[in-house]
Amino acid sequence: MEFAIPDGLSYAESHEWIDRRDGVVRVGITDFAQDELGDIVFVELPAEGETLERDDAFGLVESIKAVSDVYAPISGTVVEVNEALRDRPELVNESPFDDGWLIELESSDEPDHLLDADEYAERI
Amino acid sequence: MQRYTQTVWNDGESDGYEPLLSERSLETVEVPDAGLPDDLTRDELELPELSEPELARHYTRLSQMNYGIDSGPYPLGSCTMKYNPKFTEDVAALPSASVHPDRDAESVQGTLEIYHGLQDYLGRIGGMDAVTLQPPAGAAGEFTGILIAKAYHEANGEGDQRTEVIVPTSAHGTNFATAALGGYDVVELPETDDGRVDVEGLEAAVGDTTAALMLTNPNTLGLFERNIEEIATIIHDAGGLLYYDGANLNALLGRARPGDMGFDIMHYNVHKTFATPHGGGGPGAGPVGVTEELAEFLPSPQVRETNGEFELFEPERSIGKVHGAMGNWLVLLKAYAYIERLGGDGLRDASAKAVLNANYLASQIDLEVPFEPFHHEFVASAGERDAADFAKRMLDYGVHPPTTKWPENVSEALMTEPTEAESKSSLDQLAAAFNAVTADAASDLEAAPSETSASRIDQTSAARNPRLSWQQLDES
Amino acid sequence: MSGNPELSITDRDEQNADPRGTPYAPHTADEVETMLEAIDADDVDELFDIGESIRFDGSFDIDGGSEQVVERRLRETLARNDDATEFLGRGHYSHHVPSIVDHISLRSEFITSYTQYQPEVTQGFLQALFEYQSMLVELTGLEIANCSMYDAATALGEAATLAARVRGTSGSRVLVPEYLRPERRDVLENYVDGADLSVETVPADDGVTTPDAVERAIDDDVVMAYLESPTTEGLLEEHLEEIGALVDDHDAMFCLGSDPVALSLLRSPASVGVDVVIGDASVLGLPASYGMGLGLFACREEYLRQVPGRLVGASEDADGNRAFTLTLQTREQHIRRERATSNICTNQAWVALRTAIHAASLGPSGLVSLATTCRELPERTAARLDEIDGVSAPVRNRYHFREFRARVDADAEAVVAALNDDGFAIHAVDEETVQLCVTDVNEHRIDDLVDAVEGVMN
Repeated sequence: MEFAIPDGLSYAESHEWIDRRDGVVRVGITDFAQDELGDIVFVELPAEGETLERDDAFGLVESIKAVSDVYAPISGTVVEVNEALRDRPELVNESPFDDGWLIELESSDEPDHLLDADEYAERI
Repeated sequence: MQRYTQTVWNDGESDGYEPLLSERSLETVEVPDAGLPDDLTRDELELPELSEPELARHYTRLSQMNYGIDSGPYPLGSCTMKYNPKFTEDVAALPSASVHPDRDAESVQGTLEIYHGLQDYLGRIGGMDAVTLQPPAGAAGEFTGILIAKAYHEANGEGDQRTEVIVPTSAHGTNFATAALGGYDVVELPETDDGRVDVEGLEAAVGDTTAALMLTNPNTLGLFERNIEEIATIIHDAGGLLYYDGANLNALLGRARPGDMGFDIMHYNVHKTFATPHGGGGPGAGPVGVTEELAEFLPSPQVRETNGEFELFEPERSIGKVHGAMGNWLVLLKAYAYIERLGGDGLRDASAKAVLNANYLASQIDLEVPFEPFHHEFVASAGERDAADFAKRMLDYGVHPPTTKWPENVSEALMTEPTEAESKSSLDQLAAAFNAVTADAASDLEAAPSETSASRIDQTSAARNPRLSWQQLDES
Repeated sequence: MSGNPELSITDRDEQNADPRGTPYAPHTADEVETMLEAIDADDVDELFDIGESIRFDGSFDIDGGSEQVVERRLRETLARNDDATEFLGRGHYSHHVPSIVDHISLRSEFITSYTQYQPEVTQGFLQALFEYQSMLVELTGLEIANCSMYDAATALGEAATLAARVRGTSGSRVLVPEYLRPERRDVLENYVDGADLSVETVPADDGVTTPDAVERAIDDDVVMAYLESPTTEGLLEEHLEEIGALVDDHDAMFCLGSDPVALSLLRSPASVGVDVVIGDASVLGLPASYGMGLGLFACREEYLRQVPGRLVGASEDADGNRAFTLTLQTREQHIRRERATSNICTNQAWVALRTAIHAASLGPSGLVSLATTCRELPERTAARLDEIDGVSAPVRNRYHFREFRARVDADAEAVVAALNDDGFAIHAVDEETVQLCVTDVNEHRIDDLVDAVEGVMN
């Protein structure tokens, strides 16, 4: 099966992506991850203002048969969460890289452990 | 091939099948003050108000849209859905069986005699020195066992040090959850490629932080843990205790006993091994047996006999209570009646036929069974098919499907336990259902079931938009 | 082994002549033979892969018997129980269970079914459980009711672990009332042990809990405060709303113990700030049953993802019809394992079915009428006993439900023993106090009880 892996994003081995834009860092889970989980029925996200260390579990993504932690690929402070997911968790399935994003962080973390699209493609 | 169509009731008006009680009637009655100040009472109560004939019909129709052991084969692996003898219900319905839990021991000697008798029988069957009947289910039995292990380590001054419980990857989910409820860290122990406990891995995993290892034997694949004595030695040498999950005891009755294998604590699932009805999910009972060394930690009270009189007593270093009274007494009473009906030889015979049935059934189906020799249950692989779809399609052939997608060391697992209660012809029908589904097109499996009261139910929308009461149906 | 050691399996014919096989397996000798041939085995013994050293060659020394013999033996054994009219309560109550409850709940399709993991073929039970949940939602005013815990004590334990999870890392104490049954407290202590919570007592004032007492006991370290109405003593709590506000001020969970009959009369717990209701729902559906119960568990919707136990929800099937299914199962042990909201698997579903049938059979008018009876009977009976020399009842001038206490000018234990000889069972509470529970099931014996007490006191 072919999964979308957009160029320009950075990927964690635990299947989160980050997208740096205008000083904030948007975080979500990959197309591969949403497909593995199946129909997502619930997303639990942190409160705005919460501080995350790299690799902290910051939320949960639940399908019918599985629950998965989501980990912070980088350290930072949560400045926004995707409120739309509360009523429409299926956005993570339908649009994992756009409407299905999870949180936005303010971060000065400049990690070098993340993968680019090609590297991530090799892992899955 | 057996034919089957489950009853469907549908009044043509409600959007479901049998209308809800609330759709038949919802009455609001005013609530009187009953001599109470206004702020203590409610003003009104709104519930269905129906006559007995209407209720009898409602519930009878619901029962017709439900499948039980008496309807047909129910080969759920690790669930031991055996026949539930009817006479045990008559015994449990006796008014003399239903005394209040605060009655003085002297005035309920009959109840205590049976209670004591079951403690004793279970001890003999499991090879255990003392048994508590208090845990109301298997998971509650596990919890009791973990509390006993904890009390034992605390008594040895090792309570703080022993923080881990080891659980095989393929174990029942309750083992993990129970250890966590007891405050333990769970150490997962992967199986070897032959489906058994990895003895080397266990040696590496145990240590002075180990509180217990929880095992079932035969294991989830139906395989007997041949190295059980070595496993017991490893755990005991490390100062830990060996816990037996009784889910699969129906394989061993009269042929091997957990106590003889080196287990220190075990629970019995009387709703599995001793034929008490599952009741749509419960009540069960999960008595716990222990070695002599651990008897002083058992829950309170225990029943003992002194000069023909039965009395309650609190074990010296009891963990306290795990149920508000004496456990699921009526269930225990049914189990006692079953054991007395079969006797030791009958129990041994039940296991023999359960194992024979599993082996025969496996030989008649066209699916791969990767692990053997299995005992009372086997795990077949649905191969390229989705085990959940496979199960749904089996429903169309008038049989209940096996447990699906567990354990994970068989891909698309169909965990099958026919029990001793199925005749050869019923096993042949079950095999025919397996084989028919194996031959069916993938699209048939995905579209199934069609012969049940309801067709495939949308789990996703049930979870995305939870509606858990008739009040919430009205909201949306 | 007793009997023929060669015989490792018996067939139906043999077992009729010599009952050594299970009567609940249908195999004939020919069938056993055919099945063994099919799997290429000579004997069933070959199928067991058990090492020599741990093989059990002994006997359980348990004799089997015919249905008739076993049933008679059990009947005779149970007949050794003294035939007493019970005026016992203290958290375990009996009401008349209508015949329809037995007849319907014992239908094979219900009682011999398993948990509804295949909902398409178990719509009937699922709908009955959905209706059970809905009735509890109405009675408690809370949005969520699960489809059962084991009993009131374990439901209380589950409520406390829920409170700890909701709070996360802060908080280490649970408050319980002085009147709590020691058995329930003991179970609670075991449930919270793994979460490192301690259980502390809120004293009662004349049998009930005052806001002052709660205020003195509570601080931000408390994760849950628990009270009961009716209490173990049979009194109704009078200040729940004020106490609820206090508990809320400290961001703690307010848990109330009650039952479906009392709730039919009492103001809905949700409206006085209660977050979780637990209790024994089997006051409807089961007789006393030596304390076998049904754990009622209802809570606010905000705890939905943290609820212990099974939940039935409505959905749709492929034909677009409304259908029911177990839902939100990712909370449960078979999926979330060590991170599950509880370790519970097997529950009390069949008792919940019985409770639902009983409640439906009473309907709202029957429930309210039964609850009103439970309000009147204790005070009426107490007044009768109060007329007897040496008896003062009720001990407290408060609102009673089902039960009351009486003070006796004699050793309470001796009074209880003497009444026992007369065929009445009541509680001794302390040296001079007894407790009696009066409901629709023993109401017809009140006159006899009063006579017996009079006889004992004179």
